[in-house]
Amino acid sequence: MDILVLILTVPFAFGMIMFVMPLRFKLLQNLHIVFSVIVSTLLLSAVGKVVNAEELSIFHNYIFLDSLGAIFLSLIAITGLLVNVYATTYMKWELEDGHIDIKEVKNYFALSFIFTWTMSLSVLCNNIAFMWAAIEATTLASVFLVAVKKDKKSTESGYKYIVLCSIGLAFALYATILLFSAANGKIDGEAMLYTNLLANAVNLDSVALKLVFIFALIGFGTKAGLAPTHTWLPDVHAEGPAPTSALLSGILLKCAMLGLVRYYAIVANGVGFDFVQTVMIVSGTLTLFISAFFLIRQHNVKRMFAYHSVAHMGVIAFGLGVGGAIGLFAALFHCAAHSFTKALAFCSTGNIARIYGTKDMTKMGGMIRIAPLTAVLFGIAICSLVGVPGFAIFVSEFLIFKAAAIGEQYLLMGIFAIALAIIFIADFSHFFLATFGKVEGEVVHNSEMKFSENFPLIALAILIVAFGIWQFDSFTFLLDESVKSIMKK
Amino acid sequence: MANINIIDIVAVLMMVTSFAVFGLRQYRHSIQAYAVQTLLLVIIFLALYFKYGTHELLIWAATAFVIKVLFVPLYLMRLVKQLNLVVEDEPVGGFFISPVVALSFSLAVAMMLYKVFIHFSLFQDVLPLYAASFIFMMGIFGFILRNSFLKQILSYCLFENGIHLSLALMAYSSHELVEIGILTDAIFAVLIMSVLAKRFYAAYGSLDTSKAVNLRG
Repeated sequence: MDILVLILTVPFAFGMIMFVMPLRFKLLQNLHIVFSVIVSTLLLSAVGKVVNAEELSIFHNYIFLDSLGAIFLSLIAITGLLVNVYATTYMKWELEDGHIDIKEVKNYFALSFIFTWTMSLSVLCNNIAFMWAAIEATTLASVFLVAVKKDKKSTESGYKYIVLCSIGLAFALYATILLFSAANGKIDGEAMLYTNLLANAVNLDSVALKLVFIFALIGFGTKAGLAPTHTWLPDVHAEGPAPTSALLSGILLKCAMLGLVRYYAIVANGVGFDFVQTVMIVSGTLTLFISAFFLIRQHNVKRMFAYHSVAHMGVIAFGLGVGGAIGLFAALFHCAAHSFTKALAFCSTGNIARIYGTKDMTKMGGMIRIAPLTAVLFGIAICSLVGVPGFAIFVSEFLIFKAAAIGEQYLLMGIFAIALAIIFIADFSHFFLATFGKVEGEVVHNSEMKFSENFPLIALAILIVAFGIWQFDSFTFLLDESVKSIMKK
Repeated sequence: MANINIIDIVAVLMMVTSFAVFGLRQYRHSIQAYAVQTLLLVIIFLALYFKYGTHELLIWAATAFVIKVLFVPLYLMRLVKQLNLVVEDEPVGGFFISPVVALSFSLAVAMMLYKVFIHFSLFQDVLPLYAASFIFMMGIFGFILRNSFLKQILSYCLFENGIHLSLALMAYSSHELVEIGILTDAIFAVLIMSVLAKRFYAAYGSLDTSKAVNLRG
């Protein structure tokens, strides 16, 4: 059977199987891990085929996997697997503490496979309307991963999530319809296929394309967390369980960004790169500074990381705005670097919340003595987030500076440096508050987690450092091919 | 010529019903206005089919009738009955100001949008294209200005109707799976929002979303 067919059926089937499983935690935990390994293996084998230059497409090319999609599919596979494994530990703690019941755990595990299925579908769609439907479906599939409990805060976060994302994505659907009508009859072949639209972008009406891009930016930008429509993100990421926040921030935001990148490619090749770069620079700068402003004021560790997600989506937008081969390379690399980093950051907040019983950093302190490994993992996440050399995010941020310098965009370099400096100061002050000094509040769990419980976090930390100091040929190949496909060179 | 008039008249009626969905204070009346609007949408699909002979729109009309004229309104009526709701909560700016703001801004935005859309539309029917943009914007303003969660679900249904009409006018020739995908999303969105509305009511004792201020900063 074709690998793409398997990717589109197996996660969904696993989700359905989980729904009908008996309410025994050990069984659910083991199944969740085994199923996650199988799904990730399938996803990575499809990525491997793309690395070997195989063309993958089914259903009359409606579903396909190109190098651009392969980058994001590998994030679903790697980040998704590690977070799902951590989710079994986190849910065990929640169950033991009585915060959640076994039925809710089962639904959580089942929905996480449906969520993986919708994200994979959004990456694999060549038909832009299917892509929109899949991205909207990711919201629907993840609402109850966020609103796991039925209390006020949980319900409020679920409400804000679905309402804001649905409104935003409605604009993206209008962009889809307008792009189709502008292309229908003017290009060879099906006018809803991304590959056809990209190949014939130059034949499309420039006024329509500009409007399409603005609508797509509002739509996919809302889902990706770009300002000013980012407001759902801090509430949702802060309130959902730690593994949900890791999945949303580590993968989902990137899937929405992929949607925007595909529109970026079509419009850039239709009306020229100047237009899309200018729009993305404005969006990226706005996002960076708004998030930096709110970041300084945060004391809730999860809210702080949520504003970080907004900031780093701003970095990706800024990279797309600086443009050129290096700028695009950096933006796409940043998607992967931020995915691993943010998954580690949010998973470590799961450990931290277990230790202190709170997410308020002013009531923490002394973590390095209570749980040294968690403190180090938390530190690695922070170091990568602020762009310390040797960690993954440094690579992409450095490349954005390089792209701007090559393009003699010195003003942009200055703006970018100021924004990153604010984030740097805000982050380290929070990190020191939580990690060193005296314990300011209560310690609920006064010891380090077990190695097996910390294993997914250690793996993520290794990935962050590895991507910071090493160049992986297969991944670089995918990035290079993606940049070529966007620039049509 | 007669068909053209029918399409235009129905398009105007759709605009009027979108204002009714937005502005009517009693939930039951608002849901009924939505059902009428969707019935008008089905009539437009049929009229376009008779005018242009597009068979796709015949199927669209049938699916829209079953899902949006029957299922969604009945489901929302059931929700209203379960939660024992009668009148919606005070909207932003009050009951008088909010419809005026929504109406004027929606008319203005639709005036700008339809001029672009008409260039690329498969069908060159001006008034329905204008109506589609207007209904879409009324839905968006419903989300922004109405505090009631149920009214926001209805606003979602409104802008979904606006998009559905745009799709029929501008992209009816797209693959039938496109329409199925979009409709499926819409149904699930309504169902999920309804579940959340029940939880919201249980947690807050009303559907007034302005009370949802626990997460800020």
